[in-house]
Amino acid sequence: MTEPETTLEGWAPEPGPDLPLERIIDLAFDYRGNTTVVLTDGTELQGYVSNRNADAGEPFIQMFDADGAGPRTIPYSRIRTIKFTGRDTAAGNSYALWRGRRETGGAGRDERARGER
Amino acid sequence: MSVPAAQMWAVAAYVLRQKLRGRRRYPLVLMLEPLFRCNLACAGCGKIQYPAQILRKQLSVEQCLRAVEECGAPIVSIPGGEPLMYPEIGRLVDELVRRGKYVYLCTNAIQLKEKLEAGLFTPSGHLSFSVHLDGPRAEHDESVCREGVYDQAVEGIREALRRGFRVTTNSTLFEGASPLRMREFFDEMMDLGVEGMMVSPGYSYSKAPDQEHFLRKSRTHELFARMLSKPKWRWRFNQSPLFLRFLMGKHDYECTPWGNPTFNLFGWQRPCYLLQEGYAHSFQDLMENTRWERYGRKSGNAKCRDCMVHCGFEATAVNETFGSLRGFVETVAVTVTGRL
Repeated sequence: MTEPETTLEGWAPEPGPDLPLERIIDLAFDYRGNTTVVLTDGTELQGYVSNRNADAGEPFIQMFDADGAGPRTIPYSRIRTIKFTGRDTAAGNSYALWRGRRETGGAGRDERARGER
Repeated sequence: MSVPAAQMWAVAAYVLRQKLRGRRRYPLVLMLEPLFRCNLACAGCGKIQYPAQILRKQLSVEQCLRAVEECGAPIVSIPGGEPLMYPEIGRLVDELVRRGKYVYLCTNAIQLKEKLEAGLFTPSGHLSFSVHLDGPRAEHDESVCREGVYDQAVEGIREALRRGFRVTTNSTLFEGASPLRMREFFDEMMDLGVEGMMVSPGYSYSKAPDQEHFLRKSRTHELFARMLSKPKWRWRFNQSPLFLRFLMGKHDYECTPWGNPTFNLFGWQRPCYLLQEGYAHSFQDLMENTRWERYGRKSGNAKCRDCMVHCGFEATAVNETFGSLRGFVETVAVTVTGRL
């Protein structure tokens, strides 16, 4: 039995005692879609979080902008929160869905192939 | 075994040099990912799920060559994404061959015939097309989620062989793989004339769509023991015999995550080709500042518990061959007798 797919898409967490910023950053790093990084001064940066290093002397994230420029490095200390605003590219591609398409004759179109645009 | 003598000697000499220098950790194969774009979306792949602006990006040839120099590994494997979609793949391969690297271009071969006809590559003992084929036609097309891909790949292989290129195959096996069908597949590949085959169990990428069909350790041993028992003399594998014996349950190795370091758009991937725990800005940073004790089976890391993939364990097997008399004698014995 396939478990229902879960995604963080659309989630706008607020850091707190039960949800530290470090955890939100970890989830954003693991997220395969664009996010909105909200800085402590209120600035919002949209893009893909490609790296994070919590072990560095000054912990930081790295992100590519929505137009692909980057990566820019942002210290944890400048981040208020991260919102999961972009489409989760790892969601909705389940094997079960592919099998379903295949059984209805649609798999040959390979709708999930990436990067051919 | 089918690794050409010159390549085997180059790798052996490299490993011995590392040992003489007292290097505890050294790379064997650089996994160079110049792009994440792919013309397939396989159920077991967790490599291509990125937003559009990331998929449009690619490394420059110069960035690739800098990584190759930094790393120093004698073998460069170019996966991706699909490397034949990289616009400068011809120049990149030329530069790597000129530097004396052994290049494995890992491709689904959909575009192979077209690229060969365009004259993009020159045959060389240093270049092998490593064609992704997960088994016979039905199994492969199911694995890559598109019908007709097996036939396209075989057509590409035939064209490459006709033009004098080295061609190997690379098969990732999942739950449900049939030992008998795989033995038939090995026969097919030998009939086709490929130089050698590589086989490995799949890894359960957290981002891969298909999470149900990855092999667990005991199932891996069972599958490979049945598949490789009494191997036919004509079968040739382009990998360490000790690694194959490890898959069959005849050895219990620990992972060598630094053996196949990975470089891509984001930097040097920590800790290995399969796990993405962060990126280092340089190869030195990767080697010196990764907390290696967190990875491998003995670490207790759940992500490593069932992993038996070649990118982690083939380097261990090669180190065993050149690091112990027992390993060397065993490797020679298997190579000479063909008995796994």
